[in-house]
Amino acid sequence: MPDFIRVANISEIPDPGRKLVEVDDRLVVVIHTAGHFYAVDDVCTHDGGPLGEGQLQGFTIACPRHGAKFDVRDGRALTMPATKATVTHDVKVVGDDVLLRLCG
Amino acid sequence: MATNVLTDSHDGIGEINKYDFRTESKYVFKARKGLDPQIVSQISEMKGEPDWMRDFRLRSLEIFNSKPMPRWGGKIAIDFQDIYYYLKPANKQGKTWDEVPDEIKKTFDRLGIPEAEKKFLAGVKAQFESEVIYGSLQEDLGRQGVIFTDTDTALREHPDLLREYFSTIIPPADNKFAALNSAVWSGGSFIYVPKGVKIEFPLQAYFRINAENMGQFERTLIIVDEGAEVHYVEGCTAPMYITESLHSAVVEIIVKKHARCRYTTIQNWANNIYNLVTKRAVAYEGALMEWIDGNLGRRLTMKYPAVYMMEPGARGEILSIAFSSAGQHQDAGAKVVHCAPHTSSRIISKSISKNGGRSSYRGLVKIESGAKKSKSSVVCDALILDSASRSDTYPYIEIDEQDVTVGHEASVSRIGEEQLFYLTSRGLSGAEASTMIVNGFIEPLIKELPMEYAVEMNRLIELQMEGSVG
Amino acid sequence: MAEVTTSLGFNREAFDAFLQSRGEPSWLRDQRCEAWAKFEELPLPSQKDEEWSRTDIRLFRLDRFGFPADRPAGARLADGLLTHRVELGGQVTAWDSHPHSARLNEKWARRGVLFGSLDELAAEHGDLVRSHLFRAVDAHYDKFAALHAAAWSGGTLLYVPRGVVIDEPLHMLSVISPGAADLGHALVILEDGAEATLLAETASLSEQSPGLHCGAVELLLGPGARMRYVNLQNWATGVWHFAHQKALVDRGAALQWTIAALGSRLAKVNQHVALVGRGAGAQVNGVMFTEGKQHLSYHTLQHHEAPSCKSDLLYKSALQDVSRTVWRGMIKVDPAAQKTDGYQRNDNLMLSDHARSDSIPGLEILADDVRCTHGSTTGRVDDEQIFYARCRGLTRKEAVRMVVAGFFQQVFDRITIDSVREALGEAIGRRIREYD
Repeated sequence: MPDFIRVANISEIPDPGRKLVEVDDRLVVVIHTAGHFYAVDDVCTHDGGPLGEGQLQGFTIACPRHGAKFDVRDGRALTMPATKATVTHDVKVVGDDVLLRLCG
Repeated sequence: MATNVLTDSHDGIGEINKYDFRTESKYVFKARKGLDPQIVSQISEMKGEPDWMRDFRLRSLEIFNSKPMPRWGGKIAIDFQDIYYYLKPANKQGKTWDEVPDEIKKTFDRLGIPEAEKKFLAGVKAQFESEVIYGSLQEDLGRQGVIFTDTDTALREHPDLLREYFSTIIPPADNKFAALNSAVWSGGSFIYVPKGVKIEFPLQAYFRINAENMGQFERTLIIVDEGAEVHYVEGCTAPMYITESLHSAVVEIIVKKHARCRYTTIQNWANNIYNLVTKRAVAYEGALMEWIDGNLGRRLTMKYPAVYMMEPGARGEILSIAFSSAGQHQDAGAKVVHCAPHTSSRIISKSISKNGGRSSYRGLVKIESGAKKSKSSVVCDALILDSASRSDTYPYIEIDEQDVTVGHEASVSRIGEEQLFYLTSRGLSGAEASTMIVNGFIEPLIKELPMEYAVEMNRLIELQMEGSVG
Repeated sequence: MAEVTTSLGFNREAFDAFLQSRGEPSWLRDQRCEAWAKFEELPLPSQKDEEWSRTDIRLFRLDRFGFPADRPAGARLADGLLTHRVELGGQVTAWDSHPHSARLNEKWARRGVLFGSLDELAAEHGDLVRSHLFRAVDAHYDKFAALHAAAWSGGTLLYVPRGVVIDEPLHMLSVISPGAADLGHALVILEDGAEATLLAETASLSEQSPGLHCGAVELLLGPGARMRYVNLQNWATGVWHFAHQKALVDRGAALQWTIAALGSRLAKVNQHVALVGRGAGAQVNGVMFTEGKQHLSYHTLQHHEAPSCKSDLLYKSALQDVSRTVWRGMIKVDPAAQKTDGYQRNDNLMLSDHARSDSIPGLEILADDVRCTHGSTTGRVDDEQIFYARCRGLTRKEAVRMVVAGFFQQVFDRITIDSVREALGEAIGRRIREYD
């Protein structure tokens, strides 16, 4: 299991808000919403393009290109045209640091 | 009484017009082209829709405005502000038989379209005979619990059922034209087939005699419940005549466990239109979805019927035929997405280009990770009939799973000289020989059509080959 | 192991210093300056560009690479994979974009053949090079093409005069140290009736090290010329590989172009064959075998501009681990190209559950008297075949190796150079592992 690494200071990511980080050759979106932090691969499973810039509403992020919505908590695809979940990662806050651990 | 600008002529027989603006309207509604929130709200208001639908339309309009035009496919030069978006239920009605162009009448004759249908299709107000014939069919279906009506009526009479599925398969953000349709949709079919009910004869759009059938922005929603079966036929071989220049429809289909649905489209547009359609079906466990798509078009068609196989054992089949002649571009194809194991799909596409026409196949086979033991086969054949014509093939194959079998083949050729020689040396003229070969070429599709369509389709191909139509 | 010394990044200052150091004729300086201007103007491609929609280079840092630094100190480089037991007619090597060595058998030199460093020969044979350099590849196509056209070095020139038939293979090897860039340009000019076989390969000095290849290949075949060109990309898994490769095949000429892609972290290659004269022919063979997190994206084009030409492309990929291949191929037939025979086929063998293959064949046909087909298949190793092999006493690994070898056999059969067939077979064989 890889380790947790620091990817941001909590002040960098307001609620709601996000930050795109690069960890181990992978682009991950760290999301702050509804008082919690989450992390998903920056990939919309519908067309393989970036997801991170999409509209964030509650626990849902919508892909900017075709509107597919994903739940940031478990990566589940909520609407067409996406049918497959995107990968989520573990996030925790220790002091002022936001830490990320890659899963899957 | 405010002038009703939507029904510009009057008839004595009985206006088939659900939207009686004469008595209820609080607004003096002026005829106006253009697309903005006010027009969209008024459409919703005039239809008497619930708030959620109006809000849905307005959100869709915002999405439409925010999306760029697609940078692939055909050339689209539409001024969106130069179109009437509100309903014109008397679009084709109110015409007399005399007003129907001669060319159309001759085509009907050549195709052997039955008398009653001819008039209906030409937009001549419905004759009583038609009402009688189709009225009893409706009763029959009703007794089995089948709902077959137009989408506007369904929103009024079956709101919960409609709301459960509406736009779940094609959300407004899916593409620019789905967003447009979502904002201004009107008409289209709504079909619900209850569990286990198998409808033996094909349902056709013009059974719904009390609504706009060939509108620009139809929205069709078909729900086939578990174990049920239905075959729906849209369009007809007769030339369809709408005065507008843009046809942008959305068709959503849900095929539940072990159900079957076949959706046949034969579209032969009589005038220069942009035909930009989004059609998508989802098939659940053991279900079968079949799209039979025939396009003899005008100007530009962009249409890629899709099947998403969501659960094991689901199957999708798409048979597509496109025939392009001078000044036409058919950019058509098929999409299949395998989201579950043990799913299978088959796409057969046949296209013909003639006289400078351009036929393009554009398709997608996508197998998601986890969709083990899925199979897909695609065969695209294109026939170019002369040196001025053009054929393109753009298939996309995305495989994210190891245990699959996927095959794709495409070929482009012209009619072989040996074949032609063989036929002409047996007394056929060059044109007759070509027509026969072309008919043979599209045979796999023709044999899937209901008999009368197959006959009409063959005749239509003859006409196309002669060049007297299109 | 040689480490690259501080290289100057791809910035204006470094470019000026580079130009200064070259001492090249003015036509070449001008060409480089125009390309540099374009390089500065264009952004890096993004996934919004259709051609890059399946190739994500957001993690690529152009600023970590730069112009060739000091010439690395001189160990003799390894021979490369393609030359075992082969009598070569000549060899050119480059190291970190510096010309390293060049030799050509006297009997060919005597007949007017030129084979050596493009950097050096561009000065001696200015007219020849000037009339052909960047005739095929579009120097302004994208940011990588522009960078290459501005900064190319450590290139190779092969010129074969009319009627000369070189019956010994020639060899080119480009090597990079960790962190270095290979900016080599291969310019091949075959005059009427000339014939040659050129084996080109790449290598990194250490297995996982980072690096950059921003290169180009131009194969210019005059009427009746015949060429076999093999291009083996075998970089370490940290290398970013961007290449524009184009062949112009004239009347009655024939090209056999074999590409083997085994290395790199991410490759984006445009391989374009243009059949520009009546009766030209091209056979394109592609072999890809990926592992780890590799992403190989090869875009091929068979462009029939003239009548009665034949093109035949076969690309085979086997994918392991979480690697990804993208093959996009187009056959384009112009209205004048009647009696075209165009074939294209891509087969993919999935050796793991998490690999992904994208196969996008294509046809754009504007003539009618043609025969064009394309096909694509994707599948996994057939369990039955493994079963039968094991019944004959093979271990599972040996059985899989046999099946994978069988998969590539069809494309190997088309490669008429024995040493290349063997070398590729071995290189692939070594990569095959135990699979579940």
